[in-house]
Amino acid sequence: MGTPASKRQAARKPDITGIALIPLAIFFVLALVFPFLPLGDRGAFLLQIGFFTLVAGIMALSWDILARSGQVSLAHAAFYGLGAYGYALLLKTGMAWPLAMPLAALGAGVISLVLGAVTMRLSGMYFAIATLAFTEVVRTVIQNLPESVAGGANGLLVPALLGGNSRGQYLLALALLALTAGVSLAVRTGRLHHAFAAIRQGEETARVLGVSTVRYKLAAFFISSFLAALAGVLYAGKTFFISPLDTFSLANSIAPLTTSIFGGLYTTLGPILGATVLRVAEEALHNVVKNGYLVVYGLVLMLSILWLPRGLMGLFRRGKHGGDV
Amino acid sequence: MDLFLQTLLNGLLQSGIYALVASGLALAVGVVGIVNFAHGEFLMIGAFMAWAASAFLGVDPLLSLPIVAVAVFGVGALTYRVSIRHVLLAPELNQMLLTFGLGILLQNLALMLLGGNTRTVTTPYQASSLNIGELSIGGPKAIAFGLAVVLLGALYFMLYRTVLGRQMRAVAQNRRGAQLIGIPVDRVYLIAFGVSCGLAAVAGVLVSVLLFASPTVGLVFALKAFAIIVMAGLGNLTGVLWASVILGLSEALVQTYVPGGGGWSDAVFFLMIFGTLVLRSFRRPA
Amino acid sequence: MPGEVVLRADGLSKRFGGLQAVQNVTFDHYDGEILAVIGPNGAGKTTLLNLLSGVYRPSTGRLELLGQDITHAPMEHRCHAGLGRAFQVVRPFPEMTVHENVTVGALFGQPGTTLPQARERAYDLLERTGLADQAARAAHELTLLQDKRMEIARALATGPRVLLLDEVMAGLRPGEAAEAVELIRSVRADGVSVLFIEHIMPVVRDLADRVVVMDQGQVIAQGTYREVTAHPQVVAAYLGTEEGLGA
Repeated sequence: MGTPASKRQAARKPDITGIALIPLAIFFVLALVFPFLPLGDRGAFLLQIGFFTLVAGIMALSWDILARSGQVSLAHAAFYGLGAYGYALLLKTGMAWPLAMPLAALGAGVISLVLGAVTMRLSGMYFAIATLAFTEVVRTVIQNLPESVAGGANGLLVPALLGGNSRGQYLLALALLALTAGVSLAVRTGRLHHAFAAIRQGEETARVLGVSTVRYKLAAFFISSFLAALAGVLYAGKTFFISPLDTFSLANSIAPLTTSIFGGLYTTLGPILGATVLRVAEEALHNVVKNGYLVVYGLVLMLSILWLPRGLMGLFRRGKHGGDV
Repeated sequence: MDLFLQTLLNGLLQSGIYALVASGLALAVGVVGIVNFAHGEFLMIGAFMAWAASAFLGVDPLLSLPIVAVAVFGVGALTYRVSIRHVLLAPELNQMLLTFGLGILLQNLALMLLGGNTRTVTTPYQASSLNIGELSIGGPKAIAFGLAVVLLGALYFMLYRTVLGRQMRAVAQNRRGAQLIGIPVDRVYLIAFGVSCGLAAVAGVLVSVLLFASPTVGLVFALKAFAIIVMAGLGNLTGVLWASVILGLSEALVQTYVPGGGGWSDAVFFLMIFGTLVLRSFRRPA
Repeated sequence: MPGEVVLRADGLSKRFGGLQAVQNVTFDHYDGEILAVIGPNGAGKTTLLNLLSGVYRPSTGRLELLGQDITHAPMEHRCHAGLGRAFQVVRPFPEMTVHENVTVGALFGQPGTTLPQARERAYDLLERTGLADQAARAAHELTLLQDKRMEIARALATGPRVLLLDEVMAGLRPGEAAEAVELIRSVRADGVSVLFIEHIMPVVRDLADRVVVMDQGQVIAQGTYREVTAHPQVVAAYLGTEEGLGA
């Protein structure tokens, strides 16, 4: 146990219990090796599934970061779509993609601050409905802009990322997921973790203890939407074509939410794990369930709420309190 | 001037359906205390039932309406029993996500089984219209509005003049107290949730005639119903009526007077949500 | 003997619709002083505390902390300016450990604190409040007394010059209350001025340097415990109430 002085010394160190660093590292090693495996005839197809799994991971993890501050958002499709549209429009101006990508994300981040400021004092269902409405507003605006600007309801063509090189695209997505995981871990081990968790668990108490809730809630919005917009850029660059209905689809708000809850809220590994399981399951079931695959997401969401409140991560450390919260 | 009156009339007619959907939602929120994100899907179920009855059995939607209402009441009651009931004491977030999951499930189940196409119900009175002076009202619209008024009348009669209605309002005002004076709260919840879903389904039947049935038809009505109950104040049953009229009229005005209004009128309710929420949040003490 | 004024309320009033909850309350709180606010139920004590801590803004009047006008400052600014508060109903962050709870106060109460510094300071306060052994437990597992200690440790972690305590003795057994009294004394010994609301008169007698008595939203007397309990208006206000003054 040690002397009081050594305990005191130990107390300085950040508390990182429950951060599953080793499984996380294993995931990234496996994901890095994956595109170099002899995948055979179905290689291109598998690589594409891998790519969208990584994009789903970025979406889920970025959603989770926002949720950690108590803001359960239904606006992720908006950030995703703003990233995709921002990127496409910047490319149209002749900008190089490595510049357009972060700029599009930055743009989405700035717009999210407007939403964050408006919803600052809303909570629970009011917050959820306002964010849902925000998504519809953004979609309606883009759809009703003159076609020459953003393609209207018909959508826009987007040049393929990295000239359509599948392996390159996969590795880029992996790098961005690694960035997202890095941000998530930095949030988890720093000031933001304490601010977010305090706001989530008692906003007024947090303010009494000196937490500038406005600043931290906006920070959560910015970080989250920046990362989600990067996922949108990946999507736009992979599919060559974006339209308001697909890009701003409610599905893109539902999937990250369900994935995080299913994987394990407020963790770094959970949403990534959830994305992998749900995405692979989606492909496996693709031939069985053709239309309306989201059925599975609805079911998983309901069952998680009713029976698996701590998600997949809860299965691994049953009965242990606290964890990576 | 006639255009203006016609616009107001169209808005008013539209608000009847909004009020049906929204009072159902207000019942779930106010009495059961559950924000039902799957509300629109019960409307969708109603619309498809009416379509099926008409397409396969040749039954007019107006005739199938009572059967649909009762059937979806049952579906709602069952939903309450197997899912909602288990999260009544859970955090609001869990309740919300549960109904959200249910909505996604139902919507996509419909998509899986029926495909994404819209199905229209044809009726003999489809093209009929009523003319009052210079103003003209589509026959189905007039019937739908009339029905909505009658049903809302019945609903409010039930709420304010019957034992069950009084129990519902008592539960809405004070859950604990209601339990203490011996109101069977669980049964009241079950019935209220069933009625809530039944109202959505009735609106769905009307929507199947006026518009169409499709897996996603419920979503937009549910969103508008949210806007209405937010404007009326959560759980405020009477406020729902005037809030519905305001939404219907504003949409009609935007449609008529804003260039390219068709596309923008669907944005009216977001503005309403935003406006109300923001106003309200800034009126609360810091 | 009175030193610098740390907290000055000047004519504070708060109206809720037709109800005048707090009316023209004026008092000075001196450095290093333990000041009690007492009064019968409904006297407006809790509203006053909410005005001081920033839950409500006063309808009229002015509030100064260390010479700085904080009448309209948001709660977090008051905290940074040196005002700490412990709630009557303890509100731990339920999913955090005890140590993390206190760390939040240490980290955000004084801008510029790093996380390791905050964690260490939080641990110090846990030792001082006798909670070091509970550091790694979940906050929702604590007993009521431990909860109150944590609440005080958390408020102290923000580095307050003035600490507001809202009926911290409520619900404690006599032995526990004595411990809490000791804790509050030691807080003052560290140079923190304490303003507390209390119902239990022996605690007020033992602890308070000065007492402000409220009735029906107004201050009806100020002075030492002996002075105010002899004040006819105070006696009248308490007469007939169940609490009495004798306790």
